[in-house]
Amino acid sequence: MKLKSIMPALLALMLGAVPVHAAKIRVVATLTDLADLTRNVGGDLVEVRSLATGIEDTHGVPMKPSFVPLLNRADLVVLVGFDCEHAFLPALLEACKNPKLQPGHPGYVDCAKDISPLDVPKSTDHSEGDVHPYGNPHYLLDPVLAEAAVKTICAALVTTAPEHQAEFEQNRDAYLAKLDAKLVEWQAALAPFKGAKFVSYHEHWPYFAARFGLKYFGTIELKPGIDPTSRHIEELVSAMKSEHVPIVVREPQFPEKVPALIARQTGATLIKLPIMPGGVPDTDTYIAEMDYIVHSFADALKK
Amino acid sequence: MTVLASALAGNLNPLHAQETNEVEQLKRQLQQMQERFEKTEAEQKAEIQALQKEVELLSQRQPVILTNPPAAPVVAGAAANAATNTVSPGLFQALSDRVDSVVEAQKKILPSEFNPAIGFVGETLFSYRDQGMDATGSSRPGGFDVFQRSLELNATASVDPFAKAWVVANATADSATGEATLGIEEAALQTTSLPGNLALTAGRFFGEFGKLSNIHDHELPFVNRPLALDTYVGGESRTDGAQLNWLAPVDHYISLTAGLGDQFGGDRPNPDNPGNYRSFYGLNFWGRASTYFDLSPGWQLETGVSGLWDPKTEDRGGALVEPNGVSTYTEKTRRLAGVDLKLSYVPLRDNQFSSLTWGTELLFSDNNFLFDPAGAPNAPGQYRGDVSALGLYSYVSCKWSRRWSAGFLFDYVQSPQNHDDETFAYSPFVTFALSHWNQLRLQYTHTDHDAASGLQPDDAIYLQWAWIIGAHSHGWNQR
Repeated sequence: MKLKSIMPALLALMLGAVPVHAAKIRVVATLTDLADLTRNVGGDLVEVRSLATGIEDTHGVPMKPSFVPLLNRADLVVLVGFDCEHAFLPALLEACKNPKLQPGHPGYVDCAKDISPLDVPKSTDHSEGDVHPYGNPHYLLDPVLAEAAVKTICAALVTTAPEHQAEFEQNRDAYLAKLDAKLVEWQAALAPFKGAKFVSYHEHWPYFAARFGLKYFGTIELKPGIDPTSRHIEELVSAMKSEHVPIVVREPQFPEKVPALIARQTGATLIKLPIMPGGVPDTDTYIAEMDYIVHSFADALKK
Repeated sequence: MTVLASALAGNLNPLHAQETNEVEQLKRQLQQMQERFEKTEAEQKAEIQALQKEVELLSQRQPVILTNPPAAPVVAGAAANAATNTVSPGLFQALSDRVDSVVEAQKKILPSEFNPAIGFVGETLFSYRDQGMDATGSSRPGGFDVFQRSLELNATASVDPFAKAWVVANATADSATGEATLGIEEAALQTTSLPGNLALTAGRFFGEFGKLSNIHDHELPFVNRPLALDTYVGGESRTDGAQLNWLAPVDHYISLTAGLGDQFGGDRPNPDNPGNYRSFYGLNFWGRASTYFDLSPGWQLETGVSGLWDPKTEDRGGALVEPNGVSTYTEKTRRLAGVDLKLSYVPLRDNQFSSLTWGTELLFSDNNFLFDPAGAPNAPGQYRGDVSALGLYSYVSCKWSRRWSAGFLFDYVQSPQNHDDETFAYSPFVTFALSHWNQLRLQYTHTDHDAASGLQPDDAIYLQWAWIIGAHSHGWNQR
C-alpha cells in the first residue's frame, strides 16, 4: 500500500475522527443509578455506560485506564456532584482529553445543581474525616431528589440533541409518573414506622431518612472515611441500647464483621442494603433498588 | 509567587541566605489570602441578612406558602418553581435566584476553592543503618538518623479555559547542616483543550518514563526509590522541557508520549553542560507508550515501554575517577530503555479494604563514555566505549484492611559505568494508614554491594511518617 493512500486514514486517526456507525448520544454515568435514570429519559437515542457496576463504594470506583477511551468519546458525563466522585472522576476527566466533558461545559452534567444539600459541614478540616465540603452527596436515595436529577439529565440531553426534545420530555414525564406512583407505595410501606431509628456504616442515608420519616441515629465509621475505633463502637452500642435502635444497615462494600458485632450486642436487626442499582442481586434498576431498600426496612421493622 | 518566579528566573539552587525572606513572603501571602477570605465571608453574610430582611418584609405583606412537605430536606429548583404562593412568580424567581447565588458563593469554603488550590506534604524518615556513609554510598549518615526528607508545597489551578498549571516547591534538610534547602521540583503548564486528543506540558515537570519515575517520593509504595531508578534515571524524572501526550482515538487505552528537555532526573540537577552554544542534539529526548487490559472486573494489567536518549551529555556528572585513582571516564551519550508492568487485583466491592499489586520495571542502560587512562584532558590514549548495564525492581504489595498493607521489594542494579559492579537489595515493608492523609511505614532493607564498588553490605530500618494538609488531588499518575 502506498503511503499516499494511507495518509488520509492516518490523519483521521490522529485527529480522532474515527467514523461512528450510530448517531446515538454517548453518555457515561459515574454510577449505576444515574445510568438507569439516563436510559429512562434517553431511550433508544442514547448509549449509556456506567463507570461503576453497582457493587463499588460510590467514593471509590477504581480508576481504570479502560474508562479513559469511554470518556474520550462521550458526549456527556453524568455525575452525582457534591464531590461524590472526587476520588476518581477529576483524574479521569483530565486523562480523557475530551474538552466537552470538562467542568463548566455542557457535556459535564452535574445532577446536584438543583439540589440543596444536607449536612453541609461548617468546617472542611480533616479532623472531621473525609468530609464532603458541599454537603452529603447521597441524595439519590431520596426518590424526590432523584426526580430532580432526572430533570437535569433531560435538560442536558435536550441541549445536546434539541431535535429530540419532544421524545426526551415524553420519556421524562412517563418515568417521573412511574416514580411518583412508586413513591406513594414506598411512603405507605414505611408510614407505620415513622421515627424508627437506625445506624449504618457510612453516612449514606440522611436524605432517605428525611424522606420516609425515619431517624438516622449515627454511623459505625468514626468519621467519613475513618474506620471505627473500639471506643467509638462501645459508645455507639451503649447509645443504641439506651435508645432502642432496632436496625443496623450494612452497605455491601463495607466489611460485615463490625456491623454484625454491633447488631449482636444491641439485639438490632442487621440488613444489607445497596446504595446503587446492582449493589445486591435483583436490583438492576433504580426502582428495583428502592423497592429492595424500602421493603427490607419494612420487613426488619415488622420484627 | 514572587518566590517561585525569582527561583525560576535565576537560581534554582539552595538559597540559604534568602530562605528567611521566602518563608516570610509565604507567610504574608497566606495572611493576605486569609484576610481576603474573611472580607468576602463578611460581605456575603451581610448580603444574606439583607435578603432575609427583604423576604421578611414581603412575607408580612403577602404570606408565602410553600407546598414542600415538612420532611423534605431539600428545596430543589424545580420544586421551588412548583410552589404555590401569592407572591408574583417573577418576583419570587428573582429573589430565589439571588438567594441561590449567595448560597452558591457561601459553598466556596474549601481551601481548593482558592485560586490556586494549595496543600502541603511532609515526610520524615527515622532510620538506623549499621554502616556509615563511606560504606553505603548514601548521603545520609549511618547509625541513627532523622531526616526531614521533604516538605512539599503544592499549588495548582486553571490558567484559563485552555490550560492548567501547577507548582511544587520542596524544602529538604541538608545532609550536612540540617538546614532546609528550597528547590522547585515542578512548575509547569499543561493544555486542557488541544484538538486531536493531544496535551502539551511545558516547564519543569516529571517527564514520563516508566511507572514510578514520575511520582514523588512520598507517593511510592515503599520508603525509598528503587535503586535502578535512582541509578539510571537519577531519582525523579525531573526535566525542564516540553512533552506531548496523545491518546489514541480507539476503544482500547493506548497512550503515547514524546518529550524533549534540558536534563532528565531530579537527583542530578546540574544541566547538561551546554558550553557556549548548544545544538539541538544537546537536549534530552524521551518517549513512552503504554496500554492497559481489563483481565477481569477485578484484575488489571498495565504495561508500557519507555526510552531516553541524550546524544550529547557532555560529561553529565563530571569526570569520574576509576578505582586506580588515575584513570577517568566521562559520559558522552546517554541511552536508557525500560519495560514496565503492573498487575493488580482490585476487587470492585471492597477495593478500599483489599487489593494485591505486583509491579516491576526492567531498565537497560547503554551509555557511551570517554575513557582517559592518564586522567588528563586531551592526553594521548583516550578512547570512546559503550557500557551496557541492567537493572530492575519488582515488588508485591497486599492490602488487607483500610489501614494495613504490606509488601516486599526486590532491587537489582548494575553500575552504568561497570556492569560487573552489581547491587542487590531486599526490602520487606508494612504500612499503617491512620487515615488518607496520615501514614506510617516501617521498612527493613538489606543491601549487598559488589566488592568492585568499594561499598559494604548493610542493614537498615526505616520508619517513614508522611502527612498531607490542605488541598490534595488524586492524580492520574498516582493511580
